[in-house]
Amino acid sequence: MRAIDQSLASCHTCGLLVRLAPGRHAHCPRCGTAVHLRKTNSIRNTWALLLSAIAMYLPANVLPIMSVVSLGSTQSDTIMSGVIYFLKHGDWPLALIIFVASVLVPLLKMLALIYLLLSVQRRSPLRRNQRTRLYRLTELVGRWSMVDVFVVALLVALVQVGNLATIEPAAGAVAFASVVILTMLAAMAFDPRLIWDNHGVHDGKT
Amino acid sequence: MAKPDEPQDFTAVPEAVIDEEHKGFPVVWLLPLVAVLVGGWLIYKTVSETGPAITISFKTAEGIEAEKTRIKYRDIDIGKVDAVTFTDDLTHIMVSATLEPGTEKFLTDRTRFWVVRPRVGAGGVSGLGTLVSGAYIAMEPSKEGKPVKQFAGLEKPPVVTADVEGTSYRLRSSKLGSVSIGAPVYFRQFDVGEITEYRLSEDHSHVDIGFFVRAPHDRYIHEGTRFWNAGGVDLTLSASGVQLEMESVVSLLSGGVAFETLPEHADTPVAKDGTVFDLYDNHTDILQTPITITHTFVTRFTGSVRGLNVGAPVEYRGIRLGTVKAIELGSDPKRPGITIPIVLVDLEPQRLAGFIDIDTLEDSVAAQKKFEENLVKYMNIAVREKGLRARLQTGNLVTGQLYVDLDFFPDAQPVTLRQDSEYPEIPTLPNPIEGILAGINKVIARLDESRLEDTLDNLNQLMVSANQVASTLGQNAPALAAELQATLEEAHATLASLRAMASTDGEIGNELYSALAEITAAARSIRVMSEYLERHPEALIKGKGNP
Repeated sequence: MRAIDQSLASCHTCGLLVRLAPGRHAHCPRCGTAVHLRKTNSIRNTWALLLSAIAMYLPANVLPIMSVVSLGSTQSDTIMSGVIYFLKHGDWPLALIIFVASVLVPLLKMLALIYLLLSVQRRSPLRRNQRTRLYRLTELVGRWSMVDVFVVALLVALVQVGNLATIEPAAGAVAFASVVILTMLAAMAFDPRLIWDNHGVHDGKT
Repeated sequence: MAKPDEPQDFTAVPEAVIDEEHKGFPVVWLLPLVAVLVGGWLIYKTVSETGPAITISFKTAEGIEAEKTRIKYRDIDIGKVDAVTFTDDLTHIMVSATLEPGTEKFLTDRTRFWVVRPRVGAGGVSGLGTLVSGAYIAMEPSKEGKPVKQFAGLEKPPVVTADVEGTSYRLRSSKLGSVSIGAPVYFRQFDVGEITEYRLSEDHSHVDIGFFVRAPHDRYIHEGTRFWNAGGVDLTLSASGVQLEMESVVSLLSGGVAFETLPEHADTPVAKDGTVFDLYDNHTDILQTPITITHTFVTRFTGSVRGLNVGAPVEYRGIRLGTVKAIELGSDPKRPGITIPIVLVDLEPQRLAGFIDIDTLEDSVAAQKKFEENLVKYMNIAVREKGLRARLQTGNLVTGQLYVDLDFFPDAQPVTLRQDSEYPEIPTLPNPIEGILAGINKVIARLDESRLEDTLDNLNQLMVSANQVASTLGQNAPALAAELQATLEEAHATLASLRAMASTDGEIGNELYSALAEITAAARSIRVMSEYLERHPEALIKGKGNP
């Protein structure tokens, strides 16, 4: 039995169990917080945030994330050029970390969300458990991609030695940060209960 | 709990307060739109900030480093070298570089690149700053021309950069002379431009020199302006003597050209960019009207033509009429079998611009022919009736250079202008110097014959008298001593007055000198005699006698 079938929802803030009609906007009679049976427009919002993230993913990888001004010569680095730089200098573990955290994880996160959204929209009954695990992983791992942004922020703050060496954030850093934030928001907007919503329809009635 | 069909169980659950529906466009969809816009803008901005990528080829990559070497214009960074590679045939290196955005319009086929390194040349030292900062590639932008992305770098910095206003011209010269790149162009000994390049013409027939004259001086270059080689020292040894010409000390080292517009050419139009001028050898040459019309005559000289060069002047009473064209050997028509020098002279009527109408001369071939006929007719009359003769004259006593002198000798034997050979022949007279030399020879010969014997006789007589003097001397010594004392005093006074005379009058000094020489000779004889007497005192009594 699902709460949604009984038009029951619990308030997110005070935990009061309320009855409400499906598809209506309502708020908790006790604390006034909005209550819904499912996250409102979950799929629509997730899609919107996800598409925004995808749109920002291109500049994040193409544009330099920081520029090092050293002795009058400016060198701009994109994420991939940094990875290649470390790889060339034999620091392949570091290169791997950057590659995984900054290129692979955001990409996989977006692909995972696309997969979840599509499977939910098609009411796919397959591998609900794995999909739920995938969602949890997506939400968990999302924040770690911010490492790159923090590194840039740290370096910019630390390396300000006048003409000798200065590091400045570049447009790519902003784009990259927005990719991470947007994917995190998209993951939050997604309601994993949707994965299971048609569970009863199939399982219960058969 | 299998069936969710017991609503009555939840009637105690409070009803949620229904909110008003707010319909309309879901704001969340603005987010992807904004993201696309922002992302697109970021990429557009970055791409548009990336300047054009170009390649420049150089012979060597000396001082050029990938990722480090800058491309500068007027000492401002406008790009950076990305990579340095070889060309496929390994003859050049290719420098790939990215320039600042906005420089596209300056990249045409006339844009020039060169490497600035420290250089030491005749014109001075340049690029010293690059000793510390490292070499950089300098660019000279040009908006004119076709846009290109591949350039051939210059091996040497250009002499004139495009930001200097002025005009480029070309010079044709038979030889390079002392012209060098960067050498100055002088106008009234003012430095108004530079030599920018020189090369042999395609067929190697002449030297093609490019030069640049800065504004506003280029306004003074007319089509009739003449240029001459002002480099180094021009030392001319000619019948007119030794001439030394030099434009400036700088031109002495690095060469240069100078120009001047003669008053008669001042009304020619101002020369356009790229006009080709002829380069004259020296300043004297430009003053002469270019000779285009010549009439050749032949002269036969009986004497030596040593000192006469091809190009030597032909003059009439000091006014130049023509030039010696050739000096050959030929037979003397008067004395068959004898070979004598034949001198071909060109008479140049254009030199007499003031006396004859040159324009009619240049008008047509017929006019020229008529003029030539008239000239020959006139020469004929001049030779036959007025005694026109050619002779060799010494133009310069020091160098012994000769020239051909034309003059009238009414006393000369009347002859006609011979026209039987290829050219009409002007009769000649012997060189006056030859006559003088013959006279000198005669004098010497006479000296040889008579004067020498006379001198020897005199000398013998002197010896005899000296003998007599010596013998008297021995007899009258004491009296003589007193006499001598008086004489010496007298002589002293005389000498004093003589010295005064000698110092005031050079001729007396000269005569004194020769007299002294005589006296010295006499004294020597006396010494010889006294030595003889020392050994043979009896000789005083017996005489010298035969041993």
